[in-house]
Amino acid sequence: MAAEEKGKWGMVIDQDICTGCNACVVACAMENNIPFVGEDETAYGRGMHWIRVERQWEGHFPEVAAVYQPVMCQQCGRAPCEPVCPVFATLHSETEHINLQVYNRCIGTRYCANNCPYVARRFNWFDYEWPAPLDNHLNPDVTVRGRGVMEKCTFCVQRIKRAEDEAAAEGREVRDGEVQPACAQACPTDAIIFGRLDDPESRVSKAARSKRGERLLEDLGTQPKVTYLKGGARYD
Amino acid sequence: MSKKISRRDFLKLAGAGGAAAALTGCGPASRYVRREPYTQMPEYTHPGKSTYFATTCFECSAGCGLLVRTFQGRAIKVEGNPYHPVSGGKTCARGQATVEGLYNPDRVQGPLRVARGAANESINWDQAIGVVAGALTQYQPDEIAFLLGMAPDHLFDLVSELAAAGGARPPLRFGALGMFEARNTLLKATGRVFAQEAMPFFDMANADVVFSFGANYLETWVSPVAQARAFSSMRRGKPGRRGYIVHFEPRMSQTASVADEWVPIAPGTEGLVAAALGIMVAEARGQRVPAAYASLNLEDLLKQADVDEEVLRRLAQIFAEAREPLAIPGGSALGQINGLENAQAILMLNAVVENLGKPGGVFLSQVAAVRDDAYHRPNTLYEIYQLIKDMREGKIKALFIHGVNPAFELPAALAFDQALEKVELVVSFATFPDETARLADYILPDHAGLESWGYQKVVGVGPAVVSGAQPVVLPVFDTRATADVLLAAVQKAGGALATALPYKDEVDFIRQSVAGLRRAAGGHYSAADEATFFSRFQQFGGWWTQEAAAAAPQAASEQPLSVAAPEFDGEGELFLLPYPSPILGDGAGANRPWLQETPDPTTTVMWNTWVEMNPETARELGVTDDDVIRLVTPYGTLEASVYRYPAIRPDVIAIPFGQGHTALGRYAENRGANPARILGVKVNKAGDLAFAATRVKVEKTGRQRPLARAEDRVGVYGDGE
Repeated sequence: MAAEEKGKWGMVIDQDICTGCNACVVACAMENNIPFVGEDETAYGRGMHWIRVERQWEGHFPEVAAVYQPVMCQQCGRAPCEPVCPVFATLHSETEHINLQVYNRCIGTRYCANNCPYVARRFNWFDYEWPAPLDNHLNPDVTVRGRGVMEKCTFCVQRIKRAEDEAAAEGREVRDGEVQPACAQACPTDAIIFGRLDDPESRVSKAARSKRGERLLEDLGTQPKVTYLKGGARYD
Repeated sequence: MSKKISRRDFLKLAGAGGAAAALTGCGPASRYVRREPYTQMPEYTHPGKSTYFATTCFECSAGCGLLVRTFQGRAIKVEGNPYHPVSGGKTCARGQATVEGLYNPDRVQGPLRVARGAANESINWDQAIGVVAGALTQYQPDEIAFLLGMAPDHLFDLVSELAAAGGARPPLRFGALGMFEARNTLLKATGRVFAQEAMPFFDMANADVVFSFGANYLETWVSPVAQARAFSSMRRGKPGRRGYIVHFEPRMSQTASVADEWVPIAPGTEGLVAAALGIMVAEARGQRVPAAYASLNLEDLLKQADVDEEVLRRLAQIFAEAREPLAIPGGSALGQINGLENAQAILMLNAVVENLGKPGGVFLSQVAAVRDDAYHRPNTLYEIYQLIKDMREGKIKALFIHGVNPAFELPAALAFDQALEKVELVVSFATFPDETARLADYILPDHAGLESWGYQKVVGVGPAVVSGAQPVVLPVFDTRATADVLLAAVQKAGGALATALPYKDEVDFIRQSVAGLRRAAGGHYSAADEATFFSRFQQFGGWWTQEAAAAAPQAASEQPLSVAAPEFDGEGELFLLPYPSPILGDGAGANRPWLQETPDPTTTVMWNTWVEMNPETARELGVTDDDVIRLVTPYGTLEASVYRYPAIRPDVIAIPFGQGHTALGRYAENRGANPARILGVKVNKAGDLAFAATRVKVEKTGRQRPLARAEDRVGVYGDGE
């Protein structure tokens, strides 16, 4: 494990303009072939959402406020999920500097999910179905996972790869803003910014340096690639 | 011997449509024939490459532009059209789930004779057209009625023309989202205050302080994606200047939860509060109190509204000092018995701070000139009631229903289903077997939105926009465009009507309708001829003006306002506040499994209906989370589980609209409860339903039904600790 990872791809989420609308949640499900599990299974906490919008209440009536925080895999530089996988299904990408999940290696020990402090990993407890013709909208770029396999947010790695291939074919670098994961693309308020952290001039790098920025559970030393910009201000 | 179709045969058959596609001249092999690959693809597909089509979202009536990614003839992913002035490349949750409507296994797969549930027999489209043509010839023109939805506009325009040509009743249009925003009240109030009944456009993007009264502009109100984008630019778009939002509403909606301050005023007092604010703002700005508020006494207003004067003074100061202040009326503030007065008092606040026609202020929407440039408003509940009365009295012999599900969306107290029994012929054009379609004689299914042609005239944004729709995939089932069915039926019926509607088909009607825009001023593209114009219209997903076209309102009316104290229907200790679900919308989203599985933004509940109650109220009543309670109004009863909601007034309970389907497919049916069953039928002076003016009694049932929530229950109100 590297001592301090510089990071390549990263994300900034501005909580001041996140409206909690959940467009990112549905966009992610449509892009990544995420199955729906039904009322009883979601009630057991077996929902497959790769991204969730946490709503926290602050204060008591009438001085009460809601804070929204979209949480997905934080693509840690030092990821607690990685060293516990006995079969190297959960591993670090040397080129993209994100956490990969290799579905056909996964044997379903769920050690990684137990070790993830962000509760970002989702397990396929069953084989879920898209009754025909609902399966017609499945994205051909993303594997449909079967029972017994762990899965999580990939930063839409299929989109990253496609943009990198196109850029390589044209003999250039990927342009800032060229890659957008499904959540950032759908977000009506542009609260999610995605791009290269290794380019100090990129939009995401600049936003990540904001003094409003903070990382989730950073004290654990996980080196998350997602920065949250705190919202709220008094009238002045 | 039965003939089996092999996979190979299937692929050949599937490509039969593509074989007739245009010659694509490429390479030396192209002479007058083209080479034919062994495996044939649907048209416009390149193996391994995606094809994107611009079209319009029809999940609500806002008219957001989409770019749909298709891959080998299938619609894979909905994305926003980045150049479109409404969506700007963005979508909401409902827009994202459109593909689950398109490929839904519970769609009506072909024309059916259902005989009000007594039959379920497939018919062919010739028979179906015969049924419609028969009705057009058999009945007197005024015995035929059309009930349409708030979208799509091209069908409304076609049916309006058909009705006018045949001397029939003009079509009515309605939708639960329009009902829950009391859109006619907003229109009428704009007419009274600014002398022109147009849909206002509130330029939130350029405002720096917004006071919103009940308008859930980030959820379902008018144009949620465009407004969310405007909210984003207002709050973070200008370096060093952060927009400030104050939301006045009895319950903290998702929109209110994003505001900087939430002021939980009592239901129906929005007008009183706005008028009090208006007087204070005028004083703070050192100007004379406008004539509209002059007859009102500040002390009386504050007493009637029961609000803290200090809080209002502080807020009035903020509004008075702001550079670009803006006041927005909508939703539950207007869905009151005194809703029209409330809307006027709130709109007038804009006149006090003189923002009319200025950046960050109030404008009047300009409708793109497609056939005409009038805004074809949805009908009021009162007008729908008149239709139901005519149905009950046997004056309506044939009823055609498209794009709306009245048996689910209308207050049950109006007894639409019973009135339907008195109509001789009911034809539904629904894509899904919804509650209304099940009570029809025939279901002649229209295409899903992504298989359809059409256009939608947009309101509530700066530019004049007509958003264009084209099919992104070939129809999945044996469905047919309702416009084509009507045009074919008119031709079959013959006579004067056939000559009055000389359109070959739906596409011909749309082409002729938008052709005039080619010469209209300010368009964002030009075209030398009509064919080029229409291909650009399809390519870009519509036509819009480059610059904002919304007009400045005239000076505000000097008429003194009468701001009335709230009135309520029924009895009971609590006020009932129904609101459209931000995820399921008018309930048509309930059959999209991923919308069911998407947590509600403020409660995180999935797949069901809940009743929001202040924890203090719940404690007094002796109920807690997941306890099933019975809500009783003079109009009916309903049972649902309690959700203790910390951001609602103790005297109000709220319930989301959208669940409680008895039809609409496997994902929607038999879950949750439909608040339309307990809604009152009182209307305000604009004729809109006063949906937030009912008192309700709460009864315990002693049962529990756990709600599926995404949030953790441990630690909330000390539970599980």
